[in-house]
Amino acid sequence: MSLSKDEIKRAIYHCVKCKLCSIATFHPQEAWSPLCPSGTYFGFQAFYAPGRMEIFRELLEGEIEEPTEGLLNAVFACTLCGACYEKCRRVSKVELPLAEIFEEMRREIVRRGWMPDAHRGIAEKVRRTRNAYGEEEAFESENLKPTKGADVLYFIGCTARFRVPEIADAMLCIFDKLGVEYQVLEEEWCCCSVLMRAGWHDSDIVREHIRHNYDAICESGAKTVVFTCPGCLKTLKKDYAEFGADFSKEGIELLHATQFIQRLMRERGLDVKELPLKATYHDPCHLGRDLGIYEEPREVLSAAVEISEMRRVREEAWCCGSGGGVKSAFNDFAVWSAEERLKEAEETGADAIVSACPFCKRNLRDAAKHAGSKLQVLDVVEILNEAL
Amino acid sequence: MNWKKKRTGGFEMKNAILRKLQEIVGEEHATDDIAICASYARDQHWHFVPPKRPAFVVRPANKEEVREVLMLANEEKVPVVPLSTGINIRGLAIPVHDGSILLDLGRMNRIIEINADMKTATVEPAVTFGMLYEQTRKFKLRPAFPDAPLTVSVLTNYYLRGIYQTSAADGHDHVLSYEMVLPNGEIVKTGSRALSSSLPHFRYGVGPDFTGVFCSHPGTCGVVVELTARLYRIYDNRKAYFVGFNSIEDAVPFIYNVMNDELVVSLRLVDNQSWLKGMCGTYDYDYESLPKFVLCALVEGIDGIFEAKDEIFNEHLRNFVLSEGKGELLDFPEEFASNFFYETLGGTEKSCMVFGLRGNYHCIGLYGPLNMAPKYYELHRRTAIEVGFPEEFVHFYLNPIYPFHGQLCYVELDIFYDGAAEGAGEKLREYNKKQFENLLNAGIYGWFRPYAGIIEPTIERIGYLAEIWRKFSQILDPNRIMNPGKLF
Repeated sequence: MSLSKDEIKRAIYHCVKCKLCSIATFHPQEAWSPLCPSGTYFGFQAFYAPGRMEIFRELLEGEIEEPTEGLLNAVFACTLCGACYEKCRRVSKVELPLAEIFEEMRREIVRRGWMPDAHRGIAEKVRRTRNAYGEEEAFESENLKPTKGADVLYFIGCTARFRVPEIADAMLCIFDKLGVEYQVLEEEWCCCSVLMRAGWHDSDIVREHIRHNYDAICESGAKTVVFTCPGCLKTLKKDYAEFGADFSKEGIELLHATQFIQRLMRERGLDVKELPLKATYHDPCHLGRDLGIYEEPREVLSAAVEISEMRRVREEAWCCGSGGGVKSAFNDFAVWSAEERLKEAEETGADAIVSACPFCKRNLRDAAKHAGSKLQVLDVVEILNEAL
Repeated sequence: MNWKKKRTGGFEMKNAILRKLQEIVGEEHATDDIAICASYARDQHWHFVPPKRPAFVVRPANKEEVREVLMLANEEKVPVVPLSTGINIRGLAIPVHDGSILLDLGRMNRIIEINADMKTATVEPAVTFGMLYEQTRKFKLRPAFPDAPLTVSVLTNYYLRGIYQTSAADGHDHVLSYEMVLPNGEIVKTGSRALSSSLPHFRYGVGPDFTGVFCSHPGTCGVVVELTARLYRIYDNRKAYFVGFNSIEDAVPFIYNVMNDELVVSLRLVDNQSWLKGMCGTYDYDYESLPKFVLCALVEGIDGIFEAKDEIFNEHLRNFVLSEGKGELLDFPEEFASNFFYETLGGTEKSCMVFGLRGNYHCIGLYGPLNMAPKYYELHRRTAIEVGFPEEFVHFYLNPIYPFHGQLCYVELDIFYDGAAEGAGEKLREYNKKQFENLLNAGIYGWFRPYAGIIEPTIERIGYLAEIWRKFSQILDPNRIMNPGKLF
């Protein structure tokens, strides 16, 4: 999304700095629940939405002319989770999603050539290997049994291919168990979600990858593309369209795995066995706040396990801390955010925290290891695969 | 050495101050990074107080660190601007001078004590109303809430002005005692706290009411690091009423009698297009079909007293409103009443919907008698139109307060506007200038807060008191390091 300077300044001027965006809805629970990982962790006003907007104002007005450490930290140590906007729009008529404003701020900064080294590194890896982790080898799995020309295409994503392959494996097994023929791209390139979240929209790499993935998917003949990664789904659905790569114009449907499975459950009445597991569901930011998908993962998950909800859920879910390029550039902050989420999950008495996003799983798993938590960290598709 | 001279002395001096600040609070809690400082440069009152970055932002963890920072600033003659939870709409925490230290007290967020027997709470500066209420409600107690987001500081709001309006019954003195660090490092304890820190529960300790004398200074005396305030009971019996009036004059006799007989815990007269939406918790209602003004009232109490109050309230409603055809009882959905309970006696959240009406919010808050309310409104309407605001931008809000001597009311003259629109700032400044004079000439008890533009026209009218006030400030802060430029 490219916002005009006037649009941005208007949004900045309309922030009255009440900071209600930093806490979850208070009434009627009357519980004080922070909502902004960045502000809560770093403390300075620069890390809360109102302060961050002031920095953007100074950037636009030419008051800030050099890339200080504080600038890069304040601008990039935010997961763009969008919780601030969800809260703000409940008590105001805020016009622009704050995450989009902050992404635009990054775009402005990257145009000036200022960015964290970690993001430069990712860009270089993507350029060199076509994936965000710089992996030279292609994804391989004994469960991968694609059918050329199938109606369904599974877009696996870099994180499920190279860091949490159990999610990809589970999804492949689900296709198999349900008798769904699927294909994968022969050359799946990074969707560039992480680069766009980091403000690299204007780089050639992003444009090149959008073109490649769009053409490859269109040429595959697939009618439905299934994603286990909400970041990839959001990027292909929303960001690609802004670059003229609009899948809806080609009649291609983009679905998250939980939407795809929910549809099959409703159409076919799948035989899902109950598992002896009490789970709590963590809403991934891209899936929930960005795409409005809250019910489908819960419906799929509840077919197999008992769900016990956390205090902060859905629009007001506490972010796991890994998105927006934070995991790569500010890992301590990312892991701290996830540990906060684990504490909340433990309060529910659940055996497992279940998400629907490889990024969330990876970071929550790192946090569980760091904190010595006994909680299992799983993805919805892993549970469903077990229950089929 | 004068701090201005030092500033021109270059980066070396600035770096030296930063090093000392970092030694006090730790490296990660003090910075001079321009981007971090930029986030403190502007607040909602920017049409009156221009943006200005502090030179340093420092985040102390405890009162000892506050003390050391103040002593350093005093020695170096560097201005200090205290800020509690990071929310301010009056420009009070925007620096005036170059080289200022912004003292962000956000790390000092402990609730030191909730004493249910004494009905008091002792808090640090960054404890918010939401944080405090989450804990006090366990004892069926609540703080007196301001009509500000529940993300604001309890300590700062009470200290800046100990009068709050969401509950008329809470009265106007919530502060019992506090501990303040002065620029020279001395610590002052007020009220009974001066004699015994374990008994901070009484406002009047030794000699004059120093608690009151120090209050309402916008960070210009020292830094309050701990404050003990009153808590109030939460009752199970509650009933809400919404009464429509076509004019403020029509509402006055009813308000007077209800207040005189002390029947309600909360009473707010608002226009039908602004705060009412927050009271009801939704933009989606046909507010335009309502009478111009709506009185929102809440009766509560223990069994027996509640029923009696409610009966007399209804009697007054019949006698002073319905039988005279002055107004009508409005039949609102039940959820409006629930939301009104929350907003009034549980901390303001949805009321902040007013910020969304046109994007920005301006108000003049003042105290005056109920019988002057129609005049205040008329002055407000006339002046706003005179400077070029359309009539629909003119809004109004009145809260009577117990004890009702002097018919004490908090009055808010609001303009909701689009701050991004060209010329909005000029109109507002013109409005303020005229309206301050108009109101002072008409007669008011006082202003809600000392804020931009309000001190100058007022101070010249208070005679020798102004001189005493200046000298008082000078004794406490001879080097004028505490938020200079905000009072004198």
